[in-house]
Amino acid sequence: MAATSTAPSAGAFRATRRRRAARSLVVTVSLAVAVVALFVLTMMVGSFRLGADEVVASVLHLRDDPSVDFVVRGLRLPTAASALAVGLALGAAGTIFQQLLRNPLASPDFVGINSGAGLAAITGIVLLQAGGLVVSGLALAGAAVAALLMYVLAWRDGVAGYRFILIGIGTTLFFDGLTGYMLTRAQLSDARQAMHWLTGSVGQAGDGELRLLLGAVLLLLPTAVLLQRQLRALELGDDTARALGIRTELGRAGLLATAVALTALAVAVAGPIVFVALVAGPIANRLLGPATGGIVPAALAGAALLLTADLIAVHLLPTPLPTGVVTGAVGAPYLLWLLATTNRQGAGG
Amino acid sequence: MTRLRAEGVTLGYDDQAIVTNLDVEIPDGRVTAIVGANACGKSTLLRGLARLLKPSHGAVYLDGKALNGMSTHDVARALGLLPQTPTAPDGITVADLVARGRYPHQGWFRRWTDRDDDAVSRALDATGTADLVDRPLRQLSGGQRQRVWVAMALAQDTDLLLLDEPTTYLDINHQVELLRLLRKLNAESGKTIVAVLHDLNLACRFSDHVIAMADGAVVAEGVPAAVITAELVEKVFGLACVVVPDPVAGTPMVVPS
Repeated sequence: MAATSTAPSAGAFRATRRRRAARSLVVTVSLAVAVVALFVLTMMVGSFRLGADEVVASVLHLRDDPSVDFVVRGLRLPTAASALAVGLALGAAGTIFQQLLRNPLASPDFVGINSGAGLAAITGIVLLQAGGLVVSGLALAGAAVAALLMYVLAWRDGVAGYRFILIGIGTTLFFDGLTGYMLTRAQLSDARQAMHWLTGSVGQAGDGELRLLLGAVLLLLPTAVLLQRQLRALELGDDTARALGIRTELGRAGLLATAVALTALAVAVAGPIVFVALVAGPIANRLLGPATGGIVPAALAGAALLLTADLIAVHLLPTPLPTGVVTGAVGAPYLLWLLATTNRQGAGG
Repeated sequence: MTRLRAEGVTLGYDDQAIVTNLDVEIPDGRVTAIVGANACGKSTLLRGLARLLKPSHGAVYLDGKALNGMSTHDVARALGLLPQTPTAPDGITVADLVARGRYPHQGWFRRWTDRDDDAVSRALDATGTADLVDRPLRQLSGGQRQRVWVAMALAQDTDLLLLDEPTTYLDINHQVELLRLLRKLNAESGKTIVAVLHDLNLACRFSDHVIAMADGAVVAEGVPAAVITAELVEKVFGLACVVVPDPVAGTPMVVPS
């Protein structure tokens, strides 16, 4: 006889909690397995086909085979690693934004972060004829400035979700307008490079930027997981969160900073890839059960999505396309559905 | 003896004081109702007592210590709060929501324990919400939903529980049900309960102590029978009325004249 349970419903609640914990574990592990499988698969296909064992052996330096190593480590690993890291970062950042602002539309693509990064990068390409790490650095700075600008504009006795989103949409339009103006000023060749960057592609990552992103993901994902508790409390509104002993402004600032940094670095590496941040969180929630909001499952869902999108973009289509085209084609119908259903439920705000 | 008291507090928003230089003591182990006309500062006072608002002058003391000097965690373990309009993420289940009431008892790395299970289960049982655990909050009726929120605050396992207009959006039946629940919690575990209430008759019927406020100041406080008089109601609400004993409980009942 367990002496701990004094309440009649203790058994029932414990069973519910254990069932949910088990489901969460199964979903997370399955997603992780899927991500690893997709990661290996993207390196197997192409004009020079390889077996899974060859890819794994080459990545882990288990075997030396110059021709395989050249294809895997030299050509395919950077793209695959970039898709993996960008997907993880966007998935985590998206769900943090959505939960923090309590709105499924509040992913970084829609609240000005991506546009800020885009404007800065395009300005660099057009005015400074910049490329590579400079463009990435500018994108990073642009995202940070956009986030800071919005935080300042939306600030009044704390940041309220609705205002943040409306200001975000306004800023997005403003930045996009300026980006359009920049493109009209550009030389033809610069404009082509700029347009390619704006579509978003995981294949364009340089070595330096990629390393930066991988390091950041390794550092920021655990930070986000540590802050998950604050996020779950903040979701209940500031008053309740404060009553639960959460230091709301500090928690929110930490979460926003983490999410903005993840988004900015992802955009810096791959350009503004749309919709991954928007759909990763809801997909994870679908799998986990409503409103569970796990950051790790969302990050994994983001990585799985982006790896799949890259596979489709590069290998399944007759002509290889930038990854952003595929995520956009999948994401747009979802957005329409989201707009239609949240409007009907009146749950948009 | 009183664990929670305010001394000379001035509370307000954006430099505009709503409550000025107010002293109040919350009697331990009792049910206290804060009543008053709209915008008299009763919710502001409650928010001040719960540390949601920082006083610009004076201080709120919990066990003799100034609330603003204490760690947020320590406050949350002694004092629970149900805000006026709590928000919940779309689709959240009752079990998930009530479990979040355990946050003040958990640290950065501390895992869920049997004690947490027990506290949540007791809260569910006390509020009669145990058979709703798997239901999404959204699907519940207003009365059930409010009981679930009370369960979340109860899971916090605090000696003091503050509620900001807990009966506002409920029909008369659910209002009475909720107030009976608060009385029961007070009787069974000796919890100190403070609620901002709109309905004077229900406040008289279900509380031991009434604090009547007008224009940001306390006009009268004490047992309902002593405090709620025709003169006071006229003064606080500007309503001409007769106060007669409630035919069931004998507590004051306000009838407009």
